[in-house]
Amino acid sequence: MTTRKLDTLQALELAEGVEIRLRVAGPMLRAGAYALDFGIRLVVMIAASLVLALSGIALGDRVARGMLLLAVFLLEWFYPMLFEAGKRGATPGKRAFGLRVVQVTGSPLTFGQAFVRNLMRWVDGMPWFTYGFGLASCLATRRFQRLGDLAAGTVVIYDRPPVMPLPATPPPIAPVPLPVGLTADETRALVLFRERAGLWSAPRREEIADQASALSGASGATGASRLMAMAHWVQVRKQAAAIPNRNHARSNNK
Amino acid sequence: MTVGDFEHKNQPRWSEYERLVEGMEKGKPGAEAGQLPRRFRELCVDLSLAEYRMYGERLTEQLNAQVIRGYEMLYRNRRGGWLMAAEFVLAGFPQAVRREWRLFGLCNAVFWLPFFAVMLSATYDIQWVQAILGADGMAAMDQMYGGKEDQIAHLRSEYGSNFMMFCHYIRNNVGIDFRTFAGGMAAGLGSLFFLFFNGLFMGAAAGYVNHACNPESFWTFVSGHSSLELLGMAVAGMAGMRLGLALLSPGRLPRVRALAEAARLALPLILGAALMTTLAAVVEGFWSAQLLPSALKYGVGLGGWICHIAYFTLAGRRVTYAP
Repeated sequence: MTTRKLDTLQALELAEGVEIRLRVAGPMLRAGAYALDFGIRLVVMIAASLVLALSGIALGDRVARGMLLLAVFLLEWFYPMLFEAGKRGATPGKRAFGLRVVQVTGSPLTFGQAFVRNLMRWVDGMPWFTYGFGLASCLATRRFQRLGDLAAGTVVIYDRPPVMPLPATPPPIAPVPLPVGLTADETRALVLFRERAGLWSAPRREEIADQASALSGASGATGASRLMAMAHWVQVRKQAAAIPNRNHARSNNK
Repeated sequence: MTVGDFEHKNQPRWSEYERLVEGMEKGKPGAEAGQLPRRFRELCVDLSLAEYRMYGERLTEQLNAQVIRGYEMLYRNRRGGWLMAAEFVLAGFPQAVRREWRLFGLCNAVFWLPFFAVMLSATYDIQWVQAILGADGMAAMDQMYGGKEDQIAHLRSEYGSNFMMFCHYIRNNVGIDFRTFAGGMAAGLGSLFFLFFNGLFMGAAAGYVNHACNPESFWTFVSGHSSLELLGMAVAGMAGMRLGLALLSPGRLPRVRALAEAARLALPLILGAALMTTLAAVVEGFWSAQLLPSALKYGVGLGGWICHIAYFTLAGRRVTYAP
């Protein structure tokens, strides 16, 4: 029995039988997107009031004032709703920050979900427009969902995942076989360690490798290089098992 | 098969897939867009293989992003339009209200009991009404309904004021509906508060007018839009209570799941409530302040109530509606 991990990567299985990973976005970034959206709305509001003030001469003062009220209402409630229900699944602010809103199943939002999620914004924004409730809810849930997200069944994710810096891969090492069998997650962690090794300084690398000294049977620099050798062994073995031009759909099970 | 081999072998398919998805995203699917589902499934297999063979994070991230892109396009919701709106009005909405008839009773009781209690209290003791309205509220009521002649119609005589008031009512009243719904998140207390508060306040206004102003100018003004507006508010309260009850007694579901389910059930209610309140604003803006015989205005108001009862009890009875 494993404990639930604290992870912004949310694995989901699709009907197509494949597992995809969604990167859930945290409150900091979403606050930035909100601030940008707020600015956009403010600018639109100012522009609308200028235009209506001018056209008020032709339309009549009261008609112009009425239209301004209507514009306030629409911007207040429907601005995020219509953008999120649209094709991009994101308000302009969210798009600028590389975010989008999707269902927890990973599929695009329906109009109803966008509607519910944004009506709840009023509750999330309390107390006094600080988004205190929304923040508390984000921090209390595994997928950073504010109350509106919980009610609508939605999450905010990174639209395009950030590009990983590609460190120079360490030179090929003589593969060292794994002493024991590892779970899929553990193997993945091992391979990721090798891939990212170039990002860290040597002492940091050893510090991380020391966490797995039970596996490598050594600590310090020796442990780190042995872990990488083991990761190399895993990759070589997995990839050698794949014969080119075979039916890919039926790869052998683990 | 190394990463390089794998990428080299599959690159043509991946570029083809990317081209198709891009066409879909730009809203200009090419002639061979029908190929997309197949290419998508192939890409899914490639992603599983890359994960299994540990081809490294760079490749899996890249394939993962491409699969998500295609998924978003293939599972996009394309329904909508006038047909759905008509189905909703003719069947979906009244069915949803009937399904929640207990909440309909509850929300109406929470509004009407304080309304009548306060309104009738004015005949015995005006102090309750005075306490609720306050000096400003009473002054406003005097200004609108104080005199013998129809002051509202005079206030509206300036060009464009009907339209302005219509916009004001939309913003104010539909906003209240939305808040009533969202307030359900506080275990239903927010919804109950708005219903109760509006019941008290409107009851006080009616009681004050009956006591101190010209009741006819008040009742002829409110009768036209009363059914749309007050029932709309009650329905918004129902939507909020649906959420609140899901949090209070989630049944066999986890609370968060129960909340999401309840939001799905509440959606037609709040949409319908917003629609009713918008219509109420149209009536209130363009009809209610017209200078017309009182009997006609009372008749229209009564007709509105009868239509609503018929609509909620009869509409969409024989239709199976799946939102």
